[in-house]
Amino acid sequence: MAGNSRIEQARHSARMAKVWLGALTALVFGVAFVGAKTHAPGHTKGQATPLGAPSSFERAVRSSALQSGQIAPAVQPPAVSSSTS
Amino acid sequence: MSVAAVERFRAMGCEVAVAGGDPTAVAAVLERWEDAFSLFRPESELSCVNASPALVVTVSPFFSATLQTALHIASETEGLVDPTIFGRWTEVAVSGRLLSRPPGVALDLNGVVKALAVDEAAETLVGPGFVSVGGDIAVRGPVDVALPAGGAVRVVAGGLATSGTTSRGAHLVDPTTGAPSNSCWEQVTASGRTCLAADVAAKAAFLLGERGPEWLESRGIPGRFVSPEGDVLESACWSRATQEHMTCT
Repeated sequence: MAGNSRIEQARHSARMAKVWLGALTALVFGVAFVGAKTHAPGHTKGQATPLGAPSSFERAVRSSALQSGQIAPAVQPPAVSSSTS
Repeated sequence: MSVAAVERFRAMGCEVAVAGGDPTAVAAVLERWEDAFSLFRPESELSCVNASPALVVTVSPFFSATLQTALHIASETEGLVDPTIFGRWTEVAVSGRLLSRPPGVALDLNGVVKALAVDEAAETLVGPGFVSVGGDIAVRGPVDVALPAGGAVRVVAGGLATSGTTSRGAHLVDPTTGAPSNSCWEQVTASGRTCLAADVAAKAAFLLGERGPEWLESRGIPGRFVSPEGDVLESACWSRATQEHMTCT
């Protein structure tokens, strides 16, 4: 009986050691993962935004660039003149 | 509709005419643009950028947005209206407030700055009227405008601009040669949805010479060309709009 008890104690110790070792491994992995996400420059820390002008600005420019205005026959004496500056 | 009384003063090296708005507000807008982009002011942001030997410089959001507009215009006109003058606009990059350009490449945003200033100044008008800076015009409501070599046109909406060689000599540079333009036209007038659109169209058509009328016509932009002899050529769209009592859009 005493021999069985010592074997059981040894098995229990081995199980506990495996649990502690697994928990420690998970903890080390978690800390390293969070640290890398926070500090490593190659990791995305937030949502990426495209470089360049805001899309609203580009839309405004493109919607008016090289588009015709509206002209009609003159009906009054000109108020101003268009000329080379 | 009759236009309100016209106020006149000088700014950006040109005569300014304002109707339908506060001339002080218009002058303030023009001064803001000139203060940032004048090549004749050593303290302007453009002069500082050109004087910097750094390959990458930080610029203001105002400068960045204007340069991006200029680069977009250069792309639209295939380099005819070029902020680097010498066809190197493809080597200029701007992202956010960071600007990079090759060593020795100076920027000249005169091709877009005056027209952008006119468009912004026209936003200050409180009623029907117009803003004209050196003959580049943006209107609010119909305005009758005298044209080079005689005649007039009613600008119903948008802007009207004239480019050429008459006033200050051959000041438009041909980006393909880097030399003053040798266009077959003396002055080209174009209509645009904005003063910027009109000014860019007029410059491009002037620089294209004989191909200018076709270039404008293919884009549906009314254009009017004056030769050194004083002969006037109107694009088909211009003729339709001004002779058949229809608006051309």
